[in-house]
Amino acid sequence: MSGVYALFADPDAAERAVEALRAQGLGTDEITIISAQPYESYAFSHTGGSSSWMFRVAAAGGTVGLACAFALTSLTQRAWPINTGGMPIVALWTNLIIMFEMTMLGAVLSTVGTLLWSTGLPRRRPAFYDPAVSTGAILVGVEQPKHASPVLATTLARAGGQVKTLA
Amino acid sequence: MAYKWGMAVDLDRCTGCEACVIACGAENNIPTVGPTEAARGRAMPWIRVERYWEGEFPDVRLKFRPVLCQQCDNAPCEPVCPTYASHHTEDGLNAQVYNRCIGTRYCANACPYTVRFFNFFNPTWDKPLHLQLNPDVSVREVGVAEKCTFCVQRINAAKTEARADGTNIKDGDLQTACAQSCPARAIVFGDLNDPDSEVSRLSRSPRGSLLLEEVGTKPKVTYLSRQSQA
Amino acid sequence: MSQTVDPITDDLLRPVLRTSPRFWLTVAVLGLIVAAGAGAWIYQLYYGFGVTGIRWPIFWAVYVTNFVFWIGISHAGTLISAILRLMDAEWRRPVTRCAEAITVFALMIGGMFPIIHLGRPWHFFWLIPYPNQRGLWPNFRSPLVWDFLAITTYLIGSVLFLALPMIPDFALLRDRTTGWRRRVYGTLALGWRGTTIEWQRLETAMSIMAVVILPVAVSVHTIVSFDFSMAPVPMWHSTIFGPYFVAGAIFSGVAALILAMALLRRFLELGAYLRPLHFENLGKLLLLMSLVWSYFVFSERLTIWYGNDPAEMAVFRTTQEGSFAPLYWTMVVCNFIVPFALLAPKRTRTTISGCVAASVAVLVGMWLERFLIIVPSLGHKHLPYSWATYRPQPVEIVITIATFAAMTLFYVLFAKFVPIISIWELKVGRQPAPAAVDLDVRPEAMGVRR
Repeated sequence: MSGVYALFADPDAAERAVEALRAQGLGTDEITIISAQPYESYAFSHTGGSSSWMFRVAAAGGTVGLACAFALTSLTQRAWPINTGGMPIVALWTNLIIMFEMTMLGAVLSTVGTLLWSTGLPRRRPAFYDPAVSTGAILVGVEQPKHASPVLATTLARAGGQVKTLA
Repeated sequence: MAYKWGMAVDLDRCTGCEACVIACGAENNIPTVGPTEAARGRAMPWIRVERYWEGEFPDVRLKFRPVLCQQCDNAPCEPVCPTYASHHTEDGLNAQVYNRCIGTRYCANACPYTVRFFNFFNPTWDKPLHLQLNPDVSVREVGVAEKCTFCVQRINAAKTEARADGTNIKDGDLQTACAQSCPARAIVFGDLNDPDSEVSRLSRSPRGSLLLEEVGTKPKVTYLSRQSQA
Repeated sequence: MSQTVDPITDDLLRPVLRTSPRFWLTVAVLGLIVAAGAGAWIYQLYYGFGVTGIRWPIFWAVYVTNFVFWIGISHAGTLISAILRLMDAEWRRPVTRCAEAITVFALMIGGMFPIIHLGRPWHFFWLIPYPNQRGLWPNFRSPLVWDFLAITTYLIGSVLFLALPMIPDFALLRDRTTGWRRRVYGTLALGWRGTTIEWQRLETAMSIMAVVILPVAVSVHTIVSFDFSMAPVPMWHSTIFGPYFVAGAIFSGVAALILAMALLRRFLELGAYLRPLHFENLGKLLLLMSLVWSYFVFSERLTIWYGNDPAEMAVFRTTQEGSFAPLYWTMVVCNFIVPFALLAPKRTRTTISGCVAASVAVLVGMWLERFLIIVPSLGHKHLPYSWATYRPQPVEIVITIATFAAMTLFYVLFAKFVPIISIWELKVGRQPAPAAVDLDVRPEAMGVRR
């Protein structure tokens, strides 16, 4: 994995670096920004597009859970119809509880699933990372740049960061 | 038409002798737990004679009442069993399937009559009492709930014979152990779906009432009230 | 780049990276108590369930009390994490992981009790709905099956809710450790780097989980209450049980959280992070829950007393003036009088020891409350011939004590393995504030040191 990146001490400097790279003509998905905490109030954090589709997937997962629960309860109750206390064989009032729980379980599992899928985790640690990030530095860089590295390196250095290159 | 097994207990005839308790225990392989465990509340009389004292000395009166599983049509013990060990049969009986019981004891808590019992230990019978065990009834292991079944083994045997003969069970052919052994004939067992059976007739008696009727369990045992004041 | 001076990370990683002899001693003692509990259970399995104090007609007692108690404690995490997260309350930040850990471990311990209290626990898996050659499915009409599904769902949800925000902290630990620790934390970090996409997705996932886990938590203790209210037992068959139990659960959960935080603060030297403000806020919550709980108890008891039904009044009287009266009134003092006396006046509420004393009282009171819901009712059912008393036996007492030791042990081990305060979440709360942050929040709540 090749690329060039620089470490910045604070989010304002990182923001300037990102703007400088954008001025060079790089798109948002070509710039990688890595930090030890999310910086919600800075523009560079909002690069991946909206995540609201995850709510919709969770709702879909919940619906799947609901359907499974409905099937599980009503089909099994009909398969072995056993009279208990005169209650109906398919007792909707009580099955609602099972349906509620499995709806929620479906939503939870689908949320975790989409998180892992959309972030690509779990993954063996790729090379484009610097452990200095864990001390609070913010990494701004370009993986596999299309343009010449020296140009990017200069841009990043001018923005105030310590530049490193990966071959 | 399916059977609907029921019982009538005449409290005017009952003398409190507890022959029914002994007979039930003998018929259904109920273990005796010993005096220590019985004092700790581990005895398992599927039918018990409840005894109440009323009044102050010297006007003390004794009332007793045999209480057994009421085979409720709206049984609170049935929906709560997680493994369907307690369920309702077509004959109107509340069946207890020992093999499915995992011993949550929810059924025993839900029963307002507390006629359900729990095996706290593995039952033992000192020799030669083991020879007295009824081969038609299973022996329950530790952790399993049990209760009166209206002698379902006798019901099944009678049904098999009647089916072989091509008839229905006639009133009086079949008796539970408690009804059979009561010297005062206070306990009457039969088919409530047969309007001419003795138990049907007694259940329509003006002296008849249901135990804990207000709880709404729809029990199938009619208690005929005691008339004499002695 | 040289290591920046980062006191927050250093403070919060110190309990993980450095181990004192006191840790080993604590683990050894707690481990022994837990082993004693395991031994007691094996004793019960071998000699038969009769070694407990359970008897006709009191078929549920201390084990089910413990079950309800621990499931109740588990509501701590959800309340703090989920509700405060959804309300954007900044003071939650140092507290979330402590609370979520309580939830997970309390659920695990509480979930053991349905198995411990079974007559034939080796068949417990019959409650799992899967196709089998027994040809039977569980009875979905039974509250115990609802319990199984609800607790499983809540446990899975809570574990994930706890685990997801741990991933960035595992990455931090991966970068700060060497050797086998680095390998373990590296695996657990799942290759997390901290890209903007990863952060966005993680935070969205946490928001969704917060929204989903709240109704699950409410449903879990409601369903536990259904174990009682679905049976026609005097003073059980009450429509108030659902909300009453949920309120009681949150009540005991907050108390457990305050106690856990006080112990962490003391033993892990986290005084700069778990500050009097946090205790005061939780103390206010505890006071609120005490009032809510008292309101439910009053509602229920007034209704029963006014109705004067003979069966219900028999149970009522035995708790109010009969053999259970000492326990009952102790409970009232612990759950209402002590919290009110300690948490209503600002002077005691703003001290950590005031909050902790109230919490300990509440924990005792809530355990008694569970016990007093179960045993007096079962001992006084409809037919007076069946009335009886219950006395717990050594097996039950040992197992009860062992669960408290197990909870503490799990917690101690957890705090050794993972930073008990979520480092990245804390740091987010201390970021310099552009307009997006709620300016009404006092700087102390944001963690800015004065």
